[in-house]
Amino acid sequence: MAELSPTRDANRRSTAVVIEFKNVGKTYKSLLGNSVQAVEEFSLVVNEGEILGIAGPNGAGKSTLISLMLGYLRPTTGTVEIGGRPARTYVEQNGIGYLSELVSINPKWKAESTLVRFATLAGLSEEEIPHRVEYVIDLLGLGEHRDKKVKALSKGNLQRLGLAQALLRDERILVLDEPTHGLDPVWTQRFRDIVGELRRSDRTMLIASHNLDELQRLADRVAIIDRGRLQRVVSTGYESAAPAVTRFRLTLASGFDLVHAAFPSAEEAGKGEYDVTVQSIQELNASIANLIARGGLIASVVPERSVLEQQFREAVGES
Amino acid sequence: MTGRLGKYSLWQFRDFFMQHGIGIAIIGLLWGYTLLAPLRAAMSAQSPTPLAPGSPIWGIVLQITSAVVSVSVLIAMNGIVSSDRKNGYYRFLFSKPINRVLYYAQAFLVYMVGVLLIMAILSALLRTILPSFNIGYFVMYAALVYIAMGGIGFFLSVATRYDWLSLAAVWLGSRMLRAIYSGPRAGWKGKVVEILPPVHRLDDVANSLIGTGSAPSSDVAWLLGYGLLCFILGLVLLRYGSLAD
Repeated sequence: MAELSPTRDANRRSTAVVIEFKNVGKTYKSLLGNSVQAVEEFSLVVNEGEILGIAGPNGAGKSTLISLMLGYLRPTTGTVEIGGRPARTYVEQNGIGYLSELVSINPKWKAESTLVRFATLAGLSEEEIPHRVEYVIDLLGLGEHRDKKVKALSKGNLQRLGLAQALLRDERILVLDEPTHGLDPVWTQRFRDIVGELRRSDRTMLIASHNLDELQRLADRVAIIDRGRLQRVVSTGYESAAPAVTRFRLTLASGFDLVHAAFPSAEEAGKGEYDVTVQSIQELNASIANLIARGGLIASVVPERSVLEQQFREAVGES
Repeated sequence: MTGRLGKYSLWQFRDFFMQHGIGIAIIGLLWGYTLLAPLRAAMSAQSPTPLAPGSPIWGIVLQITSAVVSVSVLIAMNGIVSSDRKNGYYRFLFSKPINRVLYYAQAFLVYMVGVLLIMAILSALLRTILPSFNIGYFVMYAALVYIAMGGIGFFLSVATRYDWLSLAAVWLGSRMLRAIYSGPRAGWKGKVVEILPPVHRLDDVANSLIGTGSAPSSDVAWLLGYGLLCFILGLVLLRYGSLAD
């Protein structure tokens, strides 16, 4: 696998790039006068170096928000700014690494020539293009598909081609909409590794996904959207959101009869497995320490729901 | 670092050739050959110089060649902007550091070069059976039609999803409405049709431009002005409108 290498312009950057949604609203109006409010009073700041997840049910407005950010849609109210400039101006001057939810590439183009085209539009020089195209082909395992037409690619390979074009240049902003959609488990894991390697103090990433587990692993914060509104912004770290998680599945290797002494409310959930309810991580740790001190041998402690899943259910009214 | 749009024009030219150019060339060849060759053979038997401007057959040659130009422009404009929007290709294209107004303005020019090149090749072939046919004059006429008709087509491609269909409707509709509502008795309807594309001026322009290389300047100005105005309106709509639905 190729290592993630910066292009030449990576070292020429200094200004902080912050993405700011200011009271953004988007209403779609039909010719018959019907209107649909896709996004409503949405305000959010995404800091430089941050990976922000965007989660929400189907039709929540995630893709609309991304289209507003890229300037493909004009907001009905409010503004979207990147680095203090209107978002579209920023994109036209600097470009953004973008993987859309639907990977739409002319089906008659060949995989490699698609990348050469996009590299040209991205502003890479004639000398850089072959190296950079080779690099993303190698990074995303597209070598055997390089001469295939886009229409001949499987869904997973098409998704990888979409990701490859987003990584052609060493962008400071990456926007990935449902990035693992259609990828098999091996490439889903590889994608997570790639995102991990892409994390950099001057690079901002937005990842929209239905997959809360993925966002929990990758993002620093997750904006939960429902019906076009920002419901809440959740930090994915356990330390600050401990009260959100109250139920854990405890699995013991031995000392089953000691569980109720340490966790009075423990409920048996299977052989050696118990569901325990606590008020905080501190209480959880103290009870586990108590159990170990009494001679219990713990195999695993797993939250019933992740911090994000718990917050998501509360935010969209499915607690 | 901004995108290398100029360099990308080579890809746009390739797209034009693959998606439109081959079709235009085939239609032009088939139409021209099947209609003109037998006609020439028949007329040659009657007169030693049947194909000079002003001869009876010249009118038919003009009709056929000008129709080939109009159909070619119709094919060229098919999906020039709307295809990227309908199919979602704009998403990756315009995440790159390029200006979409310049991108499509460049596509319009590249397609024009493509259409003129094919018209030059077709007219060179036509010259082998009609030696008096002037390639330069014909290409000039094709350029005029490309701007006049293509400008409207470009605007429609930005504004609607059914560009070639609406361009054909506008083009034919203008002709028909002008034929019905012209003259002093037309009243307000006559005034309304005045703002429709000046398609009716093309017949005279075709006759004089393809035949002699010159045309009434007011007709040329109307046609060019109307097409350019629509082209610029299309660019303004691209600049201030939304690409996504």
